[in-house]
Amino acid sequence: MKRLDRRIIMDRFFKYLVIVISLIALMPLFYIITSILVHGGSTVLKAGISFLYEPPPSPLSTNVGGIGPSLLGTILLMTITIIIGLPLAFFTAVLAVEYPNSIIAKFVGILTRSFIEIPTILIGVLVYTIMVLPMGRFSAIAGAIALALVSLPYMYTHIENALASIPWIYREAAYGLGLTKPKALFHIFMGIARRGIVAGILIGLAKASGETAPLLFTIGGSRHSYFQGLDKPIDAIPLLIYEFAQTPYNIYHEVAWGAALILLLIYLGVFATLRLLVKKVEL
Amino acid sequence: MKYIVDIKCLSVYIKGKKILECIDLKIPRNSIFTIMGPSGSGKSTLLRVINRLIDLIPYAKVEGKVYVFGMNIYNVDPYILRKQIGMVFQTPNPFPHLSIYDNVALGAKLNGVARNKDELDKIVEWALRKAMLWDEVKDRLREPPSKLSGGQRQRLCLARALAIKPKLLLLDEPTANIDPVNTRKIEETLTSLKNEMTIVMVTHSPHQAARISDYIAFLYMGKLIEWGPSSQILIRPRSKLTEKFLRGEI
Ligand SMILES: Nc1ncnc2c1ncn2[C@@H]1O[C@H](COP(=O)(O)OP(=O)(O)OP(=O)(O)O)[C@@H](O)[C@H]1O
Ligand SMILES: [Mg+2]
Repeated sequence: MKRLDRRIIMDRFFKYLVIVISLIALMPLFYIITSILVHGGSTVLKAGISFLYEPPPSPLSTNVGGIGPSLLGTILLMTITIIIGLPLAFFTAVLAVEYPNSIIAKFVGILTRSFIEIPTILIGVLVYTIMVLPMGRFSAIAGAIALALVSLPYMYTHIENALASIPWIYREAAYGLGLTKPKALFHIFMGIARRGIVAGILIGLAKASGETAPLLFTIGGSRHSYFQGLDKPIDAIPLLIYEFAQTPYNIYHEVAWGAALILLLIYLGVFATLRLLVKKVEL
Repeated sequence: MKYIVDIKCLSVYIKGKKILECIDLKIPRNSIFTIMGPSGSGKSTLLRVINRLIDLIPYAKVEGKVYVFGMNIYNVDPYILRKQIGMVFQTPNPFPHLSIYDNVALGAKLNGVARNKDELDKIVEWALRKAMLWDEVKDRLREPPSKLSGGQRQRLCLARALAIKPKLLLLDEPTANIDPVNTRKIEETLTSLKNEMTIVMVTHSPHQAARISDYIAFLYMGKLIEWGPSSQILIRPRSKLTEKFLRGEI
């Protein structure tokens, strides 16, 4: 009887301990989210819907203005990043899983994975040297390439894992029907691994959309005018936050908070819709 | 061409280990040919050679000659070969991301067996009926196979294999998960399909072999002990090993 009591007490004790530790671990996250909601919320309420399309204010203005060009810039950069990065990540992952013994697959795999280790600011510097300097100016395309390089290894590893973890019995079933490799990949393997593939895209996208460092040397922060061309400067929300937070102007701090809230909402929106759209595969 | 499959001294090695040893076998057209033998004797491996799924296994080496439909299988495109051969695997493996309908339809559609939606519907229904599954799923063709029982999944896999209208059907213990009533029904189906195709079936069970086979081969530890018309193998086996297996002693 006594023994049992002690076991139950220990069990309870550890249960509560785990809960408390988890809460402590979550506190910083909770703190960040609430302060973004409070500060950002007050900015956005003050500015109204025009926060989404107005350009930023002048430093001494009392009008909050908006982050229109930066918001559009972030959306465009994400789109181009995916257009460049996803096919590369996908095809290298397919190569690695379907032709594991090919030398190209091994080489690309090692190269891509080692990109994870490189500090993202160095990727910015790299693109600066090979694109910005020769072109003579900052540009949207340089930023997108830098972001694609940042997100590529994340997308690659997740897609590779998703494809590689498809149980062998389904591979046999696909090839047993006489499907060629591309058909098996397109109709069977991508379908079975769809959740993992989407998760990989999201993680890559999240990485890229939150990064500031690769943009410092590449896009030139053009936040007062809207998109002017792929070869022209552009802005992104993280860069705006980073630069506005460093200024002494209160109004810029307010704009930065508002921008942070918008960034958070974009994240949540993209994640929620994609996760809902892609149904889970019950094995 | 009297023999659909003609195997000449086939040996298979996986990672250097001998799995099959100089197998000689001829499978007559429009027959049910049963391969029986204890676990690990190489039955599944033998089936995998016939449609070249063995190619997927890394470090597998195949020696000897195998003719299917009169052609050396290593001289033809494996994808074209497999399109004419249906296979039901030992473990039920319906595609988890496709509906019941699409599981059956996919092969027929991609292999060009059905050219339009009507034909496809017909083939799907025909295949599901032949697999004795139609009545149980006809009202939920859009559901995923995860909602089916193990035996229903196995019958779905049979329907999927039939829907590509194969000339040769390879069955790896197709009734292992299926209750006696449905086993009977599937055996009837197989007997009726004999006119349209040749059937090679793997089974553990001498009783099943006795019920439906025209020919029986007995495999033991990678060697073909004997093969012949089923009555001869069942009643007057030449080898002591076969006798022991039939009595359930190995
Ligand atoms: N992919 C593989 N890698 C390594 N060894 C294998 C592989 N597939 C089969 N083998 C080996 O080949 C031998 C024969 O296997 P196989 O699956 O053909 O036997 P089986 O007669 O079908 O047995 P069961 O009745 O249990 O299904 C076994 O010893 C097995 O370990
Ligand atoms: Mg087997």
